[in-house]
Amino acid sequence: MPIYELPLLLRIMPKPEIVSTLKRAATAIFEKGGFIRKIENLGQKDLPAKTSSHGVVSRQAHYFVIYFDVPPKHISNLEDIFNRDIDIVRNRIYKHDLTVNNKPCTLEDELKPPPYRRDVQKLLKITERQESRKKKFSYKSGLNYYPFQK
Amino acid sequence: MAYASLIRNFHNFTCRVLSTSNRLVHNVSPNVWEEKHRSESDKPTFMRNPYKYKKQECILCKLNIKPDYKNVRLLSQFQSRFTGRIYGRHITGLCKNQQRKVEQEILKAQNAGLMGYYTKDVAFCKDPKLFDPNHPFRPHKY
Ligand SMILES: [Zn+2]
Repeated sequence: MPIYELPLLLRIMPKPEIVSTLKRAATAIFEKGGFIRKIENLGQKDLPAKTSSHGVVSRQAHYFVIYFDVPPKHISNLEDIFNRDIDIVRNRIYKHDLTVNNKPCTLEDELKPPPYRRDVQKLLKITERQESRKKKFSYKSGLNYYPFQK
Repeated sequence: MAYASLIRNFHNFTCRVLSTSNRLVHNVSPNVWEEKHRSESDKPTFMRNPYKYKKQECILCKLNIKPDYKNVRLLSQFQSRFTGRIYGRHITGLCKNQQRKVEQEILKAQNAGLMGYYTKDVAFCKDPKLFDPNHPFRPHKY
């Protein structure tokens, strides 16, 4: 099971209700055969823009991030459950990024003038090949004039 | 001709004398001394080119930072404070790979409601600047 992250924005409400909403979200994950690794509370913050959800306009929200594992086939089902919960202003499910950046920085190559860049050189090679494949009109046709319109 | 051979002979002679006596070495000119010791210590040594520039790296690769959608403060440094627009690669000075990642993470943050599409958090507006949009790393297209 891959790790997922669920940024969860809850509408402004008293603490016991927040707890019950989080419990609802957690039990939904457990029922799908998943488990929760971690819950982060980012606190109450202003939304970047006023957001209307389930007929209520909210300007602030309680921010939570839930890290959980669940079989991938249940993700769309979970999204549907969270979208229908009226206490949740917004939710997204992202895959937890475990990749390590091993690629060397290519900035130096990119700052070179175009003909020295590797990707430009590749393009030039491609066009060269295409040009060589094109049929060129041969002037050794025995005519002493050009047969086509110029 | 004879004069040149005489000089060479004299030179050979002095060299032989010097090689036999250690005491005399201090009194001779440095040129002769050099000739004697050339075979041992004055061989050319191999060193790296001291004038070669250090490899340029973008700021995220250099500091080994991985852009993350929850790190809104970092991501908003790559955003215009007036329009919320993500600056291009020629302005941010990031490599292709990192620029793509930054753009992806900004989009994720915006979708999750952590970051504005057309706004930048006022608290982040006075953060130190990583680049100057008016003096891009590479020239503008226009
Ligand atoms: Zn880089």
